[in-house]
Amino acid sequence: MKPSSLLVAMALTVALPAHAQSFAITADHLYTMDAGPQGGPGMVLIRDGKIEDVQTGAGVTVPNGYQAIHGLYVTPGLIDTYTSTGISGAYNIPADQDQDESTDPNTADVNVRDSLNPEDKLYQYVNAYGVTTMQVTPGPRNPIAGSAGIFKTAGPDSPFRTVDQLAVRLNSAMVFNLGDTPKETYGSNHKAPVTRMKTAEMIREALLQARQYQEKWDRWKEEKGDPGKRPALDMKLAALAGVVSGKTPAIFNVYRADDIDTAIRIGTEFHLKYMLASVTEGYLIRDKIRQAGVPCLVGAIMQPFENLQTSNATYENAALLQQAGIPIAIMTGYVGYVPKSRVLLFETAIAAANGLGTEPALRAITISAAKILGIDDRTGSLAKGKDADIVVFDGDPFEYTSHVQQVLVQGEVTYQRGGR
Amino acid sequence: MRKTKVVLMAAVCLGAATCIALVPLALAQTDHDNNVLVIEGGRILSITSPPIEHGVLVIKGGKIIAVGEQGKLQIPAGATVKDVTGKIVMPGIVDSHSHIGIDPNPTVSDSQDANEGSGPIQPALRALDAIDPADPNIRMATAGGITTANIMPGSGNVMGGQTAYVKLRGTTIEQMLIPGTIGGMKMANGTNPKGYGSRGQAPMTRMEEAALARGIYEKAQDYKAKWDAYNKAVSAGDKTAKAPDRDLGLDAVVQILEGKRIVHNHTHRADDVMTVVRLADEFHYRVVVHHGTESCLVADELAKRHIGVTFTMIDAPGGKPETINFSISCPARLEKAGVKVAFNTDDPITNSRLLLRSAALAVRGGMSEDAAIKGLTIYPAEMLDLQSRVGSLEPGKDADFLVLSGAPLSVYTKVLETWIEGEKVFDRSNPVDLRYATGGFNVISRYPQLQGGGQ
Repeated sequence: MKPSSLLVAMALTVALPAHAQSFAITADHLYTMDAGPQGGPGMVLIRDGKIEDVQTGAGVTVPNGYQAIHGLYVTPGLIDTYTSTGISGAYNIPADQDQDESTDPNTADVNVRDSLNPEDKLYQYVNAYGVTTMQVTPGPRNPIAGSAGIFKTAGPDSPFRTVDQLAVRLNSAMVFNLGDTPKETYGSNHKAPVTRMKTAEMIREALLQARQYQEKWDRWKEEKGDPGKRPALDMKLAALAGVVSGKTPAIFNVYRADDIDTAIRIGTEFHLKYMLASVTEGYLIRDKIRQAGVPCLVGAIMQPFENLQTSNATYENAALLQQAGIPIAIMTGYVGYVPKSRVLLFETAIAAANGLGTEPALRAITISAAKILGIDDRTGSLAKGKDADIVVFDGDPFEYTSHVQQVLVQGEVTYQRGGR
Repeated sequence: MRKTKVVLMAAVCLGAATCIALVPLALAQTDHDNNVLVIEGGRILSITSPPIEHGVLVIKGGKIIAVGEQGKLQIPAGATVKDVTGKIVMPGIVDSHSHIGIDPNPTVSDSQDANEGSGPIQPALRALDAIDPADPNIRMATAGGITTANIMPGSGNVMGGQTAYVKLRGTTIEQMLIPGTIGGMKMANGTNPKGYGSRGQAPMTRMEEAALARGIYEKAQDYKAKWDAYNKAVSAGDKTAKAPDRDLGLDAVVQILEGKRIVHNHTHRADDVMTVVRLADEFHYRVVVHHGTESCLVADELAKRHIGVTFTMIDAPGGKPETINFSISCPARLEKAGVKVAFNTDDPITNSRLLLRSAALAVRGGMSEDAAIKGLTIYPAEMLDLQSRVGSLEPGKDADFLVLSGAPLSVYTKVLETWIEGEKVFDRSNPVDLRYATGGFNVISRYPQLQGGGQ
């Protein structure tokens, strides 16, 4: 698409000053993902970027002063709970790959905030498929990979959106990678970790040190902080201290069932607040996951079989985990080659059609995702006072041949079909 | 399934539109035949004729012998009749670009045999010498409704080797190969063959890729001229004529020049597509554009030469610079320009269980449903010179067909059964087969203890 046609489309759809605009979105099938029955007719009123009111039932009337939008299906903005979109660029050349600082297996001190490029083509691409919020996570190579952040996929109407304008929450989680990838990254250079044993040991050692570091600082603060006795600052340990104290959730990115087990072992040992990502073989160990009470961010299931650890992937994983009583969301993760990003809507469609069902699948990428990430006060359902993050479809959201008609982020139309 | 006793119907077709074929003599002359399979009651998408709402497909000896409207064809006594009322019957899918068997599952380096990275021109290589018929990806492909595949070497070389046209059945490559076919020739340009450049070897540029391609065709022309002269001398009775040295690679390239072997050319950027066109014009060979990410930008050039595109439907742009302009609307734009479009998996780039989905996404991008379904069946068959055998449900063609639970392009539709030449190769109601459709086939022995999912 030519930039000029995008500008024209944007000009047509956002003709008025964006913040002044109030919308009334009516739907034949409104999925609020709030309490109550889903999929009936209704209307969402939007003012000043927030949801002003939600009315369900037939015969709603668009009030004066609101621009009307009608959709066959209307849902909350979708939430991708784990993705490298924004830091792993579309061109896939060294210039735009900023997701893996694979110079050191422990990069607890790095933060996706400092790699995020909202101008990357994929950043806008995922918004056009309904993603309004995403947790951006470091890549799969380091056992201790760094801090994630939660961002909107579009922001205030200005030529350039800064990270701070897009951020919903910085330091939203610390990412740990287990399994094949870290040991393949370092082992081939005869550096640690060469084995899964070492990956686990390195994580345990770092968490132990972080606990001691935290204790040292706590003691110093209790002793009224003599500046001369102040403990030395260590950025890695400081970042991990938040994890061992339970302030920052840990996310273990895991594929094989035994790696999932290792994550649960470490999470239990250090009393972490944690969750699992990818979880490819989660279905094989779901009883243990349920007992541990760990939420699962279920990985993109249309990923090619890149390695041994994903060879038991099943389209039914999300359904099996959900039916076992485990809180689930769906994620797209990191992709190393073509296509450079997965589409959350498309991945979830496969789960929906393979046992999960339409409404639970929608839940997994809206309100459940928001609750797992702890951002359900702002987004995840269509409820009064929440951000006006909304997707309008011309058919069943998961059907291959349906279209996203409009996407709104905080009350602004950020995507209009036909505009790109 | 049920066995009929006697079902005698008048073999008269009243409406030409609803009766594709008169019952052939072989069937009409006998009123009893135990070797006939009848698939009846389903909505039949024959592809080359309008859909039949309540259709009958009559099969014998692995071939289709009749297609028509239910109640209007004579069915011999003793035939096995399978009722698929409420289901959709369509031809087996033809995947014109796949690496199943040659890049097996799981992807580990020991078993990757698609790219012979020892030199950019490899016409003597045959994919069939590296295909593992036991690769689970092949069973997964049948779970996605694929019955015929063009299994190809990779795109790391300018000329990567001879491709194999196979049916997805059998335990040896000989059983898989379609009799009488020699396969195509894989070629590639753009980014991938430039991989040699990072090792200081040629090709390092697109210019060199084209020069290498031109070089091998020049050489083959020369080789062919020598053989033509020799054969002419021999047929003129010259007993002293000396045969030129045989060259395995040039033999295969000569088959391209003679129109017997189609070039399957991996290419993405529009200027690379035009390099493919330029070479084909120069050496007068038949070519299919593979991937064709930007082919819609030069759609008219392709249309006027009747060059088809087999499109790889990926989910997002990028992954490398030459795919940055990927759009799901490209197939629709090609259709509008009059270019025939097929869809391929490029497995493992997209999964073979999801090729129906690729056509569906093209419809999302504006393509007609008719062209999208043809892009899974008759168009790829034409691109492989297999249209007389596969790609539609017509008398005389191979009995390769699918039974679907619903509309072919819906996410909720399941491939229920896949048949190749009258034999069932996939059955979703079989618990083992099901795990090839959904996943987890390696742990099938433990799977029965797991509850729920899927069904």
